[in-house]
Amino acid sequence: MLQSRSHFSLWVVLLVAFGSLACDEKLSDLAGPSPNLQPTFASVQHEIFEARDASGRAACTECHTDVGGRTPSGGLNLRHEVAYASLVGIASRNKAGAVRVIAGDADNSYIVHKLEGRPGIVGERMPRTGGPYLTEGQMTILKRWIATGANND
Amino acid sequence: MTVRRLLAAAALCAAVLWVTPAHAQQATPAAPTVPERDPDQNLDALQPDFTLSSLPTTLRLPRYRFDFRVTHRFGRPLNQGDFGDLLADFFALDSSAQIGLELRFGFMRGTQGGIYRTNDRTIEFFVEHNLLQQSDTSPIGLSALAAIDGTNNFKDSYSPVLGAIVSRKVTRLGALYVEPIWVNNSNQLPSEIVDDNDSFLLGLGGRFRLRRTVYVVVEAAPRVAGYDPDTTRWTVGLEKLVGGHLFQINVSNGVGTTISQLARGGSADDTFLGFNITRKFWR
Repeated sequence: MLQSRSHFSLWVVLLVAFGSLACDEKLSDLAGPSPNLQPTFASVQHEIFEARDASGRAACTECHTDVGGRTPSGGLNLRHEVAYASLVGIASRNKAGAVRVIAGDADNSYIVHKLEGRPGIVGERMPRTGGPYLTEGQMTILKRWIATGANND
Repeated sequence: MTVRRLLAAAALCAAVLWVTPAHAQQATPAAPTVPERDPDQNLDALQPDFTLSSLPTTLRLPRYRFDFRVTHRFGRPLNQGDFGDLLADFFALDSSAQIGLELRFGFMRGTQGGIYRTNDRTIEFFVEHNLLQQSDTSPIGLSALAAIDGTNNFKDSYSPVLGAIVSRKVTRLGALYVEPIWVNNSNQLPSEIVDDNDSFLLGLGGRFRLRRTVYVVVEAAPRVAGYDPDTTRWTVGLEKLVGGHLFQINVSNGVGTTISQLARGGSADDTFLGFNITRKFWR
């Protein structure tokens, strides 16, 4: 025997309450010292490559740039206008066989190896100031941009 | 004198009027009022508890009655080291445990709700409404389930749950369960960086009666869609019913015991010892 009719309003209230809950975690909490970081190239460029974050981590463009006639460190130029073309599908100049960013494959992208300081990298972990390094949360967001196709978005 | 008689007559009438109802009651005593016993208080021998191990059942909690449950899942994997190591750790009882305390209340006939807290600081609120009881006219029992848990003492990472519980009691054997359940935010990362943030799991289980008060419990929670890390969570347990208590010792491949924790899967390699104790406060 169905007994639900008298309690129908209770369930409606519950469902409405559920629908109004903001259940998801905040990306800004994960991003930590760069709270505006998003898994898009424009955001990665602005928040990671070009900006010193709240933890004091150095901006990548402090070395990887040709501004002022300088030679980009490691041959990687992260100046705004050329950064994407320098990264995605481009072979590393220092490590044979490694590709800086492999669209859709964060785990095998050399930029991830360098930023995490994995065994087998050539040279130092980045940034080579000896830290602070990118946090685990920042790396997660960067890797998500790569895993979803490393689009120029 | 006339006035006195009138007053006396009036007093007599008043006395008669006052006494008559009582006299009438004595003359025709009402049938003794015996409180009607709520059938939900009766022991359901095939479905003696509100959960299998972690998955809910369709058992109804009597109105205005309480049920209390304590759960333990010991953190040391049973398969870690050799048997001597396991014995030295007294079958994992020396290790830390994920402990849960649950209080459940029947606040309407057929409707129960409660709160469950585990010592990883997850708090779950749940409500369950029985829509259908197995009977001569209905081959199954059916309940609707809504729950939500939150980590960090219900301050972070909320995971709402909606589901249905279908039960089928089989004479003398026990009861079987199928439980389609949707869990939102089962992935505890922001939705911007994950492919799936929901899990749809199909709880499957049974409670089988070995003796009059001894049961074997099995349950599994395969994810059929959405976020499905690790492997399917499962539990096998042995139970003893003693009055208002139900004691269960179990082995499972995970320590999580809320619905959303089941949705996050279990270990492919490790098994864990645990127990549940429930107490029904009307027996």
